[in-house]
Amino acid sequence: MTDLLTGPEDMAFREEIRAFVAANLHPETRAKVARGAPLAREDFARWQRSLFERGWVAPAWPVEHGGPGWTARQRLIADEEMFRLHTPPLPGFGLKMIGPILMRFGSEAQQKRFLSGILSGDDWWCQGFSEPGAGSDLASLRTRAVRVAGGWRISGSKTWTTYAQYANWIFCLVRTDPEVKRQEGISMMLVDMTSEGVSRRPIRLMDGTEEVNEIFLDDVFVPDDLVVAEINKGWTYAKALLENERFGIGGIGRSKHLLQRVREMAVAAGRGADPEIVAALAGYEIDIMAIEATTLRLLSAAEAGVRIGAETSLLKIRGTEIQQGLTELMMDIAGPAALPERESACVEEPFENAAYQFLNWRKLSIYGGSNEIQRGILAGQVLGL
Amino acid sequence: MIHFDLPSDVALLLRDTAERFVAENYALPQRAEMLAAAPEEAPRLWSAMAELGWLAAPLQEAVGGLGLTPVHIVPLLEALGAGLVLEPVVPAMRCAATLARALPENEAATALEPVLSGERIEVLAEGAEGAPITATRDGDRVMLLGTAPLVPGGAAAAAFWAVAELGGAPILIRVAAEAASVAAFRLLDGQAAARVCFDGASCAVSEAVPDCAGAALDFGTDMGLVGALAECSGLIDALYRATLDYVKLREQFGRPIGRFQAVQHRMADMFIAREEARSMLHLAAEALESEDAGFRARLVSAARVKIADNARRALRDAVQLHGGMGVTDELAVGHMVKRLLVLTQLGGSRGAHLKRFRDTA
Repeated sequence: MTDLLTGPEDMAFREEIRAFVAANLHPETRAKVARGAPLAREDFARWQRSLFERGWVAPAWPVEHGGPGWTARQRLIADEEMFRLHTPPLPGFGLKMIGPILMRFGSEAQQKRFLSGILSGDDWWCQGFSEPGAGSDLASLRTRAVRVAGGWRISGSKTWTTYAQYANWIFCLVRTDPEVKRQEGISMMLVDMTSEGVSRRPIRLMDGTEEVNEIFLDDVFVPDDLVVAEINKGWTYAKALLENERFGIGGIGRSKHLLQRVREMAVAAGRGADPEIVAALAGYEIDIMAIEATTLRLLSAAEAGVRIGAETSLLKIRGTEIQQGLTELMMDIAGPAALPERESACVEEPFENAAYQFLNWRKLSIYGGSNEIQRGILAGQVLGL
Repeated sequence: MIHFDLPSDVALLLRDTAERFVAENYALPQRAEMLAAAPEEAPRLWSAMAELGWLAAPLQEAVGGLGLTPVHIVPLLEALGAGLVLEPVVPAMRCAATLARALPENEAATALEPVLSGERIEVLAEGAEGAPITATRDGDRVMLLGTAPLVPGGAAAAAFWAVAELGGAPILIRVAAEAASVAAFRLLDGQAAARVCFDGASCAVSEAVPDCAGAALDFGTDMGLVGALAECSGLIDALYRATLDYVKLREQFGRPIGRFQAVQHRMADMFIAREEARSMLHLAAEALESEDAGFRARLVSAARVKIADNARRALRDAVQLHGGMGVTDELAVGHMVKRLLVLTQLGGSRGAHLKRFRDTA
């Protein structure tokens, strides 16, 4: 794998990351990530604690809120190295979503109350956007908040809520004005998951995991101080959220990590020199390089003051296509060895997670705005169609 | 080590000049007139291009160049590719870059002076894959045997630098056009080329230029590849823009076809193809500055694979979205498609570049 960022300063920074990971990553977690096995809460929490103590847990946050003060280039390098060394990718609901939203739009009291818990991992956040009837067409959401003394009462349901089983807070989009244009009647509220009226139903996925949930909100009270900024401006905040970390959405580190694993599998399967596999792997490596080069190019433009907006949708589209393609290649390499159930006695290492990852990663082109929605965004906002 | 700086002012100036030049000289009817000429006729705008410094741009000052890096000149070459120019700028650049490395500085300066001034065209001539031009010593002469089947820019060349093998080692031998047997023809896209047979051509041993381990040729090849990739990137961009304009204007079922989702998604993919091509071009151009030949080869081949793939996609979509108009000879689209085909058929197969990419890991 060719690293593009290899100047002397880059290399020194890589060394710093490597030394830290070597000293702090728990071997069990490392082994799981290296094999594509499912991760438990403890894997994330333990790693988050280490990063937090080192001051590295929120690479993109400004220093005054607890960020490490890294440049965009350093963030890319850190991401690449962390993946390479099999660290678990921390869920972004607090660190990449509501944290930055609160920094930009939240009240001082909200920042004071929530940011430190997001950094330390003492608070776990989940995201209440999608609903059974509002997926790609998010603005059609129907969960309602009704004004009462001192706050609001929310009723409705949210779905695809990742890691809600670990979360003690959920940030929700709710309809506060049903009379106006759809996007203009939506607000963002922070809901304590232990509030009366909040319940959860796990959704079992086809790979057997229970990553996502349905959340029911039954007349849940939310005090005024947990409304994010202005009422009826939630859509604006949600859009800003989608722009956060926009240069990270290509998932370069994740793709490189997967490519490395698929390559190891090819060797384990005795197909390390199979011309078809070898050509496919080289092709994906070049595809990843193109995404990395594009990220760096957009980054230089942004640093020079060019406004980069919806262009980054291309990083999401291509990044997820590459990752899904790699899981397909993984299946081709594994053949029947991918078929025994993960926990069964007859698993064949290192293929025991191949089929599960293939199944699990179908989500990549669906979540965060499906790839069809992303193409629509490009066509509308960049191409002017 | 890659920096990814934005194009410099010099690069943008060169590109703007090229775009104006193309607009003034290369409207399709003007181009059609040039194509009516015999292929061996000197290309009409060659000396004008030389005067603008385009040929000298990427060479070091010591050999008469302007000392610009490849990153500075790719925007210019993108504009020339998109403009469908018929002058063999990239083949001449490749030849000059090779000579600048193979010859001692003072000799290179002398050899290149008439080329950079636009007085004459000189290009490299290679044998086909597996059928190299061979050189044998005969007393104090070196005798050549072999044919270069397709020499881009060779039709009006005053001289060829035959890439030959002497006892297994690469050498360069300058052969005046009169001393070889030259058959001129046009390629699919109208560019003039030649088949050049060197049987019986010779030079004094002292005039043969050895290329230690092929370092100069390797660099020249990579330079030529990046030049061709710049043209491809410019063409992909031009096809994207022409198609985007077209789908906004063309109406069917009572609205512009760009309002249909199937068309929108295809256009989004074309946009992605263009952006990726530009990024890979930039990467390869920066890599050319590296003296690590392996790193250079690896990134240039990666770029070649990606850009050629994306060129295919872009030309397919451009024709499809133009509908019937896309298959005519009346729009620039068809001409761009042919140019892209020529550029991607030359310079090595996808498989060969994928292999070079792997072998230099």
